[in-house]
Amino acid sequence: MIRELLTRIRFLIFRKKRGELDEELRFHLEQSIAVKVAEGLPVAEARRQALIEFGGVEAARQECERQRPGWWLGTVAPDIRYAVRGILAHRWFSVAIMATLALGIGLNTMVFTLVNAVLYKPVSVPGGDRLVSVMGRNLAGDDRSLPFSYPDFQDYRAQATSFESFEAIDDERGILSESDNPPHLYHVAHATAGLLAMVHTKALLGRAFLPTDDHAGAEPVVVLSYNVWQERYAGLAGVIGRPVRVDGKAATIVGVMPKGFRFPSGVDLWMPLVPTTDLAKRDNRQLRGYAILKPGVTLRQANAEVNGIAGRLARQFPDDKDLGVSVLTFQQRFNGGNIRIVFLMMLAAVGFVLLIACADVANMMLSRALSRQREMSIRTALGATRWRLIRQLLIESVMLSTVGGVLGLGLAEAGIHWFDLSTQTIRPSWIEFSMDFTVFGYFAALCIVSGLLFGIAPALRSSKPDLVGVLKEGAHSVGRRRGGWLSAGLVVFQFALTLVLLTGAGIFVRALLNSLSINPSVPAAQLTTASLQLPDSRYKDSDARQRFYDRLLPRLRELPGISHAALASDAPGLGAPRQQIELEHVPIAIPAQRPWIAYVVQSPGYLETIHLPLLEGRDFNDIDGTAHHEAAIVTRDAATRLWPGQDPIGKRFRLYDDKNKASDWITVVGIAADLVQEVQENDPRPLLFVPYRQEGWSSISLVVESAADPLQAMRTTVQSLDPELPLNDPYLLKDALEHQTWFLRVFGRIFLGFALIAMLMASIGIYAVIAHVTNSRTQEIGVRLALGATMRNILLLVMKRGLWQIGAGLGLGLGAALPFAHLMASLPFGIARSDASIFLIVALGLASVGVFACWLPARRAAGLDPVKAIRYE
Amino acid sequence: MPTSTDLLQGTLDLLILQTLSLEPMHGWGVAQRIQQVSKEALQIGQGSLYPALYRLEYKGWIKAEWGNSENNRRAKFYRLTAAGRRQLESELETWDRLSTAIGLVLGRTVEAPR
Repeated sequence: MIRELLTRIRFLIFRKKRGELDEELRFHLEQSIAVKVAEGLPVAEARRQALIEFGGVEAARQECERQRPGWWLGTVAPDIRYAVRGILAHRWFSVAIMATLALGIGLNTMVFTLVNAVLYKPVSVPGGDRLVSVMGRNLAGDDRSLPFSYPDFQDYRAQATSFESFEAIDDERGILSESDNPPHLYHVAHATAGLLAMVHTKALLGRAFLPTDDHAGAEPVVVLSYNVWQERYAGLAGVIGRPVRVDGKAATIVGVMPKGFRFPSGVDLWMPLVPTTDLAKRDNRQLRGYAILKPGVTLRQANAEVNGIAGRLARQFPDDKDLGVSVLTFQQRFNGGNIRIVFLMMLAAVGFVLLIACADVANMMLSRALSRQREMSIRTALGATRWRLIRQLLIESVMLSTVGGVLGLGLAEAGIHWFDLSTQTIRPSWIEFSMDFTVFGYFAALCIVSGLLFGIAPALRSSKPDLVGVLKEGAHSVGRRRGGWLSAGLVVFQFALTLVLLTGAGIFVRALLNSLSINPSVPAAQLTTASLQLPDSRYKDSDARQRFYDRLLPRLRELPGISHAALASDAPGLGAPRQQIELEHVPIAIPAQRPWIAYVVQSPGYLETIHLPLLEGRDFNDIDGTAHHEAAIVTRDAATRLWPGQDPIGKRFRLYDDKNKASDWITVVGIAADLVQEVQENDPRPLLFVPYRQEGWSSISLVVESAADPLQAMRTTVQSLDPELPLNDPYLLKDALEHQTWFLRVFGRIFLGFALIAMLMASIGIYAVIAHVTNSRTQEIGVRLALGATMRNILLLVMKRGLWQIGAGLGLGLGAALPFAHLMASLPFGIARSDASIFLIVALGLASVGVFACWLPARRAAGLDPVKAIRYE
Repeated sequence: MPTSTDLLQGTLDLLILQTLSLEPMHGWGVAQRIQQVSKEALQIGQGSLYPALYRLEYKGWIKAEWGNSENNRRAKFYRLTAAGRRQLESELETWDRLSTAIGLVLGRTVEAPR
């Protein structure tokens, strides 16, 4: 067996010399002559008969050559040469094909890079391919992820054998302050001391954690991320050893991590997680686990092991009853569900674009197949087999797609860069949008597969020429009928896919426009918001917070350039908390059946600040919200839903908090116009306003109306009252709202781009097909014109076919777009239920573009000079 | 080149292997030997003989060497390799089974093939 293989390989590499065979054949012939001479024939006659018997030498020679294993490889090189010559000879034709494919393959490579980064690629830290997220699971209820308690984490860490290392983090927001620097709120990861060592990352400056840093009584230390070091300390090396306060508690900066390191995601400061009595409670669940699997341990094995431990803990401790645990990759944990659907949807959409591009190219090649029939016939007549012709045509198409694809790589790179910038502030920092070997493999496969895909139909068609007909009559008179249904089918298919893409884009654009038109009375461009987080350590109760707010508000209103200032739990359009409501005289016994209602906690003057009209009753005064003066303002929508047909002013209701404790009875004092708090639902929901004295929140937003940028003045005012209190997340309300709709903006732009490219390609496709068919019917049209056909007759004749294709494509596309729109509406990104108008607008738009594309060649045909047309060759 | 009796596909290879199993031979010799032994029934033309010889050589069942013919002319001699001998044996077995089976179906008694 092996010997045979070796022999074959030897002959594959070393060819036999041509001369050997010739000599062998000559010997054969001589022997044959010798025998005939011996039988008594004269030499000349013997030679003649022997030659006749012998037959064609060249055929035998070729047959011998074909016995060689892999002989056909040698014929690929000429095919490639021939393909290059063909590509260069039809330069513009080739450029058009390559440009189409560059778009198709480039966009696909780009989107696959994104999908790969979001759904598959390991996190880029050492051992990232074994990095997992470990979290609890609520087995009793909805199976959602839960953090661990510190004792649980320690039990898992002690018992689990699947992990090389297992660390935990308590993610918080903390205020960093020091004597000569304004305070600032940062993302602080309180981590077990092994976290940074787990991902094998050393400090750029100073040190990372020591193993003893998280022991009780250790010196409190802080490790900075590179960006905090640069922004807050201007990259000074002297920062090491600097004393600071985090949430008012002293700590020392000991190190700076390398640039770009934010592990696990977006962390500004790392501090050791030092156990406290509070943390030692088994029902205090705050920790998220991160682990590196041992080499060779699968996710399934790890899950099985830790769930075994979870079972033991659940039996041992009542607090851990119904608690499971799950080990997942970062992608599975953080990018599951809707994110996954959106990215896969994007991949599907861009796949459609490539299919449309391939259909376009296939149509171009088909139209050329007709004009190439003469060439193919000659090659067949000279003895080329069908397989040989197909192979040569496929080599040509794969070469075209590969060159197109390589050009598309540049496009992909640009697209990835754009997406990277567009999502920089939103995406988790561990996602890196960059190409890797997987992407490159996908790209290579795409080049080859699309080359075969668009090449196969034209190759099959061209390689089966009607030999006699073509050689006798010339190319233009045959193949018209047969070529028809295939290109027509491709055009129908293109229009159907384009309609699906346009519908998707239309739904996004519609949702975006809706989100821009919410709350028309609110002057979002003049309103500035920033939030305050009053730390519990210094503001122990609502009275303390209230006193702070009471001092702050008058000072803010006195600032020059500020026309209005107020406090609210959430600025317009930035969300709202909800509580269960119960109306007076309408008791509801079962808590689960009480309706929910959203509410905004506010200071007096808030409605004026956001210019929301008060329709009836009065605004809050300074007494509202104090004991026995509980009051609320409802929106008109809430009024009509809660008290239909009645005057709500003076009506009373109460709210239940999440521990099912009822508030005091609250009296409605006014009715305001509707307000949308949830941009993503872009739909006014019933909303209540309650005075801030009633609900003393530790976290509240300042809302200020001013002509110029008031931030600096606001910050100075706040810090004149409390120098340790930073102003968080400052925004112009307009920008904050845009931030809320980033998803619609980015993906809307992407889908719109895809859809427009698809529409362009589909129109070019139908134009090319109609133009080609019209061209090959020039003589016929000339005859019709000469016989008295009107302009209208000719237009109809040419366009009939195109109109039929567009109609069929739109019909098919509508059928496919409906479930697609349904899927999109199920995503919670503010995509409204699709209404018929989108389908109608999109279908009409596409139809008119398509009709225009067929009208162009039809008009040219109708304008032909009959005399010239009849003579047209 | 037509042969006077159409050979079953693959039978030519078997005939060549069998012929070469006796002694190394050149192409002409192989053709002549088959013609003689079959009592002129099988005539192998060069158009099928040489491709078959090349095929067998590429498969490693026979090996070619240059030598001198009876009349002292340079000629290429083929001889069976060990692999070729094994191949011949297995093909003969197959042939026996096949021809017996066909003989039974056609209702003829078949002589022992060797």
